[in-house]
Amino acid sequence: MNSLFDAWFIPGFEPESFTEYASGRAVIRVPHLHADDLSRIARELQVAGAVLRELPVARITTAIDAAAGLLAEPGFRDQALELIPLITGLSSEMAALVYDRMLQDWRAPALQALLDSELGSSAVLDRFVPRVGTDTRTHAVGPDLAFHVFSGNVPGVAVTSLVRALLVKTPSLCKSALREPVLPVLFLRALQQVDAEIAAAAAVTYWPGGTRDLEEVAIQRADAVIVYGGGAVVDELRSRVAANTRFLEHGPRVSIGVVNRTPRDAEDIAAAVAMFDQQGCVSPHVIYVLGSPVDARELARALAHHFEQLERTLPRGTLEPAESVAVHQLRAEYEFRTIAGTGTELYQSAATEWTVVCDPEPGLQTSCLNRFVFVKPIPSIEALIAQLGPHRQLLQSVGISGFDDAEAAELARKLGRIGAVRIAPFSSLPWPPPWWHHDGRGPLIELIRWVDLD
Amino acid sequence: MTDTYTQLRKEVSQQFAAPIDMPIPDAVFNRLALAAHALQMEQNGPYAAYCARRGRSEVDHWTEIPAVPTAAFKEVRLMVGNAEPEAVFRTSGTTRGWERRGQHFIRDLALYHEALAPMFIAYLLPDNAKLSLYSLMPSAVELPDSSLAHMITFALERFGADDSTFVVSRDDGLQYDSLLERLHEHSARAEPVALLGTSLSFVHLLDTMHERGDRLKLPEGSRLMDTGGFKGERRELSPTDLRAHYRERLRIEPLFAVNEYGMTELLSQFYDGGLRDLRLDRNVQTERKRIAPWVRTRAVHPDTLQPLPDGEVGLLQHFDLANIFSVCAIQTEDLGRVFADGFELLGRAPGATPRGCSIAMDMLLQANRG
Repeated sequence: MNSLFDAWFIPGFEPESFTEYASGRAVIRVPHLHADDLSRIARELQVAGAVLRELPVARITTAIDAAAGLLAEPGFRDQALELIPLITGLSSEMAALVYDRMLQDWRAPALQALLDSELGSSAVLDRFVPRVGTDTRTHAVGPDLAFHVFSGNVPGVAVTSLVRALLVKTPSLCKSALREPVLPVLFLRALQQVDAEIAAAAAVTYWPGGTRDLEEVAIQRADAVIVYGGGAVVDELRSRVAANTRFLEHGPRVSIGVVNRTPRDAEDIAAAVAMFDQQGCVSPHVIYVLGSPVDARELARALAHHFEQLERTLPRGTLEPAESVAVHQLRAEYEFRTIAGTGTELYQSAATEWTVVCDPEPGLQTSCLNRFVFVKPIPSIEALIAQLGPHRQLLQSVGISGFDDAEAAELARKLGRIGAVRIAPFSSLPWPPPWWHHDGRGPLIELIRWVDLD
Repeated sequence: MTDTYTQLRKEVSQQFAAPIDMPIPDAVFNRLALAAHALQMEQNGPYAAYCARRGRSEVDHWTEIPAVPTAAFKEVRLMVGNAEPEAVFRTSGTTRGWERRGQHFIRDLALYHEALAPMFIAYLLPDNAKLSLYSLMPSAVELPDSSLAHMITFALERFGADDSTFVVSRDDGLQYDSLLERLHEHSARAEPVALLGTSLSFVHLLDTMHERGDRLKLPEGSRLMDTGGFKGERRELSPTDLRAHYRERLRIEPLFAVNEYGMTELLSQFYDGGLRDLRLDRNVQTERKRIAPWVRTRAVHPDTLQPLPDGEVGLLQHFDLANIFSVCAIQTEDLGRVFADGFELLGRAPGATPRGCSIAMDMLLQANRG
């Protein structure tokens, strides 16, 4: 199959030539950019940003909402759902589920809730408003230009990043990921149809990460750099960003689950692992079972059953060869542990679709992803905290099940102290709300600066 | 030692004398492979369990024998019998430096030497030249757990001229001045030489030569054997680039730079065949790694592990009769295309790098260490 997608949106830019890249089972095309092209583009985005800053935030939310509405209509939706499986490898069923779910985050109610929860009142983005309990007034101002570096693990996350910047009236220059160059472009095309003035303040294209001259321009022009990616990518960019530029990173994180004895929501746990084929930072790698090895085995078997069911309703996507190889290698490690009689048990599908390892060894273990999950018994919450403690920099979300409200609050407090940023039931684990403190920080608050008027 | 053991070892050993350019007949290969499988089912407990779990304890054809992913060597001792191994070859670790290393327990070191000799001669010394061999690897005495160090040490002693030596030691590194002096002497006497080492060790040599502004014109017929990639190094240099540097700094022509592909888990090796083709005055084929007559290589679908037709890109599995005392059927992490006369190596399928903000396995384990 050969599908060519123009994976760029740069308002007012007339490319002289293009570069094509193979992306999954499709080919994407982007303008061949020189450093001075990008410099000019950044300047024009800043000009459009000056216009954006004068618009009331209500107009921006209306436009984003309308763009999301367009994306839900057949024209855009069909195109997205044809391209996403080809490019990311996700199954059609998964692509549709993720797409429709992500769109909801960009509709007016979600945007309003985000603004209200973060800023109290969205008016503070438009003008000075009194600070409660003081006699000063304050006004929230976004950066002059944000440079976003996206990753390709979960479709739609890039658009959410762009939406956050638009809400604080910040123009955006975005470098998309080779594995998900579709949605930011479709979103901006839709936004252009509903409000070209706002869409003029955003550009997205792709270049291979580490293209020095282009990244140098983007980093120098922007006063906020927002990076999603692996540790090496984040570290490398951080080292190049000036001290007075805001550097907002969403680097590597690992999520887990904690269940009390034998949970009744094994189906939700399996779905939380399976969602995005486990590529999300919110995807659990290990499910800890507070209880005995027998309890853990029971959960492992239930998960195996539900993964097999999910293959029919929400099938695992197509893997890159390297990803399949990683599954085979990791399975072999644990199969030989099983054979060696360490108490390990392995449950797996015919090919690489899913794997459950029930492992008595309590250490936090990362998965090779693509629906490969560890189930580990742990005798107590104290023992769990001791295992997780060394990984506080990496821990992100924790799915929980089988605790009453008081137990859950106590567990959450302990997990929070060792780095976890979100504790949630498994059914909502993959879908943090738009206003969640992403990696522990306010998604709009971290972008803006306050201006006080005494 | 049981009689089957002795008999099988003898029969496999006889295959090492087979004509090197032709696979041994299928019937012979299959008979020996099944005999090796029977021995391994009887005396290699973990592997026997692995096969039993797949219902493959008894098979009719070698292609039904389950291949073991290399990761298995990190977990268990995969050796026939309970004897004390004569050596333990360990993997060097990958870019994921934290990993536990794979361990290949070697019951019979002489079998390794017997298997490596005909391939080394056929592909590096097809002219039967008696050359001075210089090793850029420390000796097996210094690196007893390196299969490559064992191989080079054996080759130096068995096939090298008397002044063959190791020019790298574990403690002192590369003895650069001494090497250069020797190489100049050989040049003056118009005596060709051979250099042996990892690709990385050659990069270090070339870097030093570059820094010092040294350039050699090694006599015609000089050659080198390099092996492996650049594990754990940031530096990436394509084989073509490296060959250009060999020509420029050492005046070793690309066909005389023979790349060897070996694995800790396999006692047999694979080589570039260009130098042999040139010497035998036949069509030079440089793209494909040559396979020992007693080895069968297959490409399988990376996900389903179903065998693929010739020429299709897949995951490489090797079946090496020289591995009778461990596991013959090994599943690599390498992608390639297999043809009748060899395979094209497309390189290591990199560890599953999670896309984006999910975590790479190595980071967690780095955190574990640090």
